[in-house]
Amino acid sequence: MRLVRLVGTIAVLCCAVAIMIRVTVARKPASPLSTLTAVGNAPLKSAGPIAFGPDGILFVGDSMAGQVVAIDTADRKAAGAASINVDDVNDKIAAMVGVEPGQLLINDMKVDPVSKDVYLSASRGRGPDAMPLIVRVDHSGKITVLPLDGVKYASVALSDAPNSDPNARTNPRVVTITSMVYMDGKLFVTGLSNEEWSSALRSIPFPFTRDDEAAKGTTLKIWHSSHGRYETQAPIRTFVPYSIAGQEYVLAAYTCTPLVKIPFSALEPGAQVNGTTIADLGARNSPLDMVPYKKDGHNYILIANTARGVMKLQADNLENYQPIASPTVTDVAGVPYTTISDLKDVQHLAQLDDSHALILTGKPGPGPAWAPGPSTGPLNLQTIALP
Amino acid sequence: MGARSFHGPVESADHRAAVAFRALRKYRCLAVAVALFIGMTAAAQTVSIQFSRGAFQVVDWKAPSRPPSNGWPSIFAIYAGPGNIPPLLGTYTVESGTLVFRPRFPLAPGVKYRAEFQPPGGARVEQTFYGPRVNLTSPTRILQVYPTADVLPSNQLRLFIYFSAPMSRGEAFQHIHLLDAHGKALPDVFLPDEELWGRDNQELTITFDPGRIKRGLTSNEKMGPPIENGKSYTLVIDSHWQDGRGVPLAAGFRKPFRGGPAIRATPDPKSWRLIAPAARTTRALVLEFPEPMSYPLLRRMLRVSGERGDILGGVAIERHETQWSFTPQQPWRPGSYNLVIDTALEDLAGNHIGQRFDIDESKADTQKVTSDTISLPFAIR
Repeated sequence: MRLVRLVGTIAVLCCAVAIMIRVTVARKPASPLSTLTAVGNAPLKSAGPIAFGPDGILFVGDSMAGQVVAIDTADRKAAGAASINVDDVNDKIAAMVGVEPGQLLINDMKVDPVSKDVYLSASRGRGPDAMPLIVRVDHSGKITVLPLDGVKYASVALSDAPNSDPNARTNPRVVTITSMVYMDGKLFVTGLSNEEWSSALRSIPFPFTRDDEAAKGTTLKIWHSSHGRYETQAPIRTFVPYSIAGQEYVLAAYTCTPLVKIPFSALEPGAQVNGTTIADLGARNSPLDMVPYKKDGHNYILIANTARGVMKLQADNLENYQPIASPTVTDVAGVPYTTISDLKDVQHLAQLDDSHALILTGKPGPGPAWAPGPSTGPLNLQTIALP
Repeated sequence: MGARSFHGPVESADHRAAVAFRALRKYRCLAVAVALFIGMTAAAQTVSIQFSRGAFQVVDWKAPSRPPSNGWPSIFAIYAGPGNIPPLLGTYTVESGTLVFRPRFPLAPGVKYRAEFQPPGGARVEQTFYGPRVNLTSPTRILQVYPTADVLPSNQLRLFIYFSAPMSRGEAFQHIHLLDAHGKALPDVFLPDEELWGRDNQELTITFDPGRIKRGLTSNEKMGPPIENGKSYTLVIDSHWQDGRGVPLAAGFRKPFRGGPAIRATPDPKSWRLIAPAARTTRALVLEFPEPMSYPLLRRMLRVSGERGDILGGVAIERHETQWSFTPQQPWRPGSYNLVIDTALEDLAGNHIGQRFDIDESKADTQKVTSDTISLPFAIR
């Protein structure tokens, strides 16, 4: 009898615990991964800039379709960083997808912060039928072209209002996405228009909402004023979140090449934000990628550029640098930097861990020196110690 | 690169049978022995690789149902070029005893593919296949380069090139040149940036270096603007620029022009002339500008709004982009209308309505436009 009562008590307790667990689970907010509800062919038309979100989610900037697509890479196994070195990585990918090497364009490179695998976005072909590719290079150097069918995904449109001209097939305006960063439930996207001269930084909540307007996020006009007497809007090429004196900023690099800090707190819906130029890194140049890091107790930012090599910016106490406001024109000014002469022909740069980065190197393309275009030779993936 | 058709089977079965039959009638006994020999040899040699309906197949080889220990790629693989390269990605199946490989990506035009089959203990088979034929007809043409005027301001911001068919990406700056009056190519004229294409690769935007246009910057002070007032230039586009198929353009393009004074004033709607048509006609509503405006923005930044919503119609842009006209699909009804214009509409120098490209921050008129649109009211009578 006592045994029966004991069993009954245990059963009741188990039920109670089960109900409590269920209630707890029910109250827990849905994981971002669970919001990637579509399963099938990821609707990518192009694969440009990429950024990692939580749970192995990769954001792919698709300028051709005017959207960002979040894809489940299913790459969630935590691992330490490994030295990844693969020569002729573009030639190998081209062979795997059946095109000549010159028809394979690598557009961006990022490292999965959890698995430490390398991801590349690429284009199979240069014409209108070019196909988007997402490629993983694992610790052993094995190259995998991710299947884009049967994946879990979600997408958000960046497109504008439809054209009022009923004869127009589509709105011809294209926002070419230049860079993306995910932070604290928001995807920040910068881009430039093919038709008008503008500067915009969109802040898109993630998980993406179904409300179209909300999904578009906030469009901000960034004015990097304090740059002399005359000021223009300009498109951001690459940016990173950065903490300066306890305040969070977007540290953005523009073509020709001002480095501008914009406080996150200023990024309010509908705001016209004034950024502050804290460095000029030189004319006739476009920044490619930025990697902030710490070494020997000091802060640095490594910046890869199209024409001015790889720069190591001294990033201690950035709050102490006065805005570049003098009307006296200067080519290079503000926060000091050194150029890393050993790092040449860097096409892409990504952080691997606290002390290492990955670079993709290759000879410039056959175009003029100021705009060589995509490299037509071999590209090598190489792990380097942060300088 | 030229295209060639796929390789077919080496010899047809009918032809072999006819030869054997004639020999049989002539030599009988000897023929039996020869036929046996030929048959055995043919059996050993007829293993071939064929490509049809997007798949490579090993023909006349009985495939086991299970792959070899190192997998199907160890005996059958396709390569998109010579040398030691990884094979094509794809899937293997055995269908009615035939080994089939389906590439994950379609064969690409102009590419030479090498198929290798090495049966266990058998003779190696290697065949070459070619991607689909490139259609060389109807070469792509340059339809127009905007602005079309033959005088461009010294702070001209952008050029828009329109093609008759999609182009290849990544090589534009090899093929676009600005020459001075002596025919010498001018360096550092355009923005060192990526190519800005429209969605179908038929519209390309080229930006003059804004660092040389924006007053007060080093490039502007040292090098001056890309275009100088009073000087002559020629924009040249090479004919050997390849379109999306890899075929050169039908012809190159030359646009001679002179540099004019910089445009520093913002587009002023008060200086525009709006001509309203008569009611119950489908005549065009016409807006005239005293200076050329940005062609692609004129195409999409103006709309006609009536009492019952936007009016559907077609837009024409003429007279060197100084005239915009709108022809309605239905006859105009008498009433009040608005021509609604996006304030982001630009002139040739990138000046918006009420906002210059490079704002003079020392002056009180450093306005930043707060409204997205302006409206020009008109009546149809």
